[in-house]
Amino acid sequence: MSTVLRTLRNIRRIGLKEYAHQMQNIGDTKAGTLIGTDRWGNKYYENMEEELPLRTRWVDYKTTWPEFQPCQVEPGWHAWISYMVDTPPNADKVLQPGLRHYEVPEHRPNLTQTRAAFRTYSTTRPKYSAWTPVAAPR
Amino acid sequence: MFPMARPALAGALARPQLALCLRPQAIAALSTSSVKSATALERQSSTGQSLTASGKVRTEVPLGSQEKKEGAMQYVLTTLDQVANWARQSSLWPMTFGLACCAVEMMHLSTPRYDQDRLGIIFRASPRQSDVMIVAGTLTNKMAPALRQVYDQMPDPRWVISMGSCANGGGYYHYSYSVVRGCDRIVPVDVYVPGCPPTSEALMYGIFQLQKKMRHTRITRMWYRR
Repeated sequence: MSTVLRTLRNIRRIGLKEYAHQMQNIGDTKAGTLIGTDRWGNKYYENMEEELPLRTRWVDYKTTWPEFQPCQVEPGWHAWISYMVDTPPNADKVLQPGLRHYEVPEHRPNLTQTRAAFRTYSTTRPKYSAWTPVAAPR
Repeated sequence: MFPMARPALAGALARPQLALCLRPQAIAALSTSSVKSATALERQSSTGQSLTASGKVRTEVPLGSQEKKEGAMQYVLTTLDQVANWARQSSLWPMTFGLACCAVEMMHLSTPRYDQDRLGIIFRASPRQSDVMIVAGTLTNKMAPALRQVYDQMPDPRWVISMGSCANGGGYYHYSYSVVRGCDRIVPVDVYVPGCPPTSEALMYGIFQLQKKMRHTRITRMWYRR
């Protein structure tokens, strides 16, 4: 929900350059405090006082429009931005990456429809094999 | 065309040949079990091409970073593609094919909480006005001809989203006598959304994946390559 006054107020706070950036990416003008940045470079903001419920936390993706995806958000930050936890990962040790031995070293987004996408492959020996037919001369 | 790919290709081809030469045939003859090691799966066809484990000819694909635009024409066509893809992905009109409980989640996508209208997604009742068909729910044998007919009535370009376990592969009703084991037996599917039923967020994410697929479609570039 945006009004002219709110837009003007937020432009005054964030500046014209950030306004153009937000209109390209979010489609809204928001002003908040920068809570943190994840390892990839996504920036996370929060404004608990003025924004509507469930719109109080948002992310400014590192990748440019339109290639950003929600899967680029790291797990700890995902928990924070989805209101599962109150403390952001840079203030909570449990949410930080690299603590658990089973974690992959880097965050891996959904690679569907890229060159790196998973494709099924068979490791079993084929049960039959084709032969080269030899036609006898008639 | 791809000079970077050459040395890698030569190296990849050389290694299985070496492994084949060094494999001791005598030990294989002594062995009574039919289990072979993983290196034995790299085989060669009669014409000398190396084969994959399933017996197909191994092909080397250049990486995305190795593909370069050549000449002004490809830059022009890339821009044309971007414009066409932007128009396609930002006005995506789905044909609702709600068959079961997944359709309820599909309806939630159009309600104000998820608000698909802001993405330019408007449900159409007619297949002739729609771009994408969302198959939501169990596809029965009786419904299958109707599904195919509706798909055939859609104008090109058209996409299909298979929503939920039942549409993906039969799901709970996989062993039923009257259910099609996956709607990809009837129509070609672009995006499979897993879940039983998938949440509205999951369906929206599937739509984002479809938009991603549209965005990377090289329409005029593929035409120019011919």
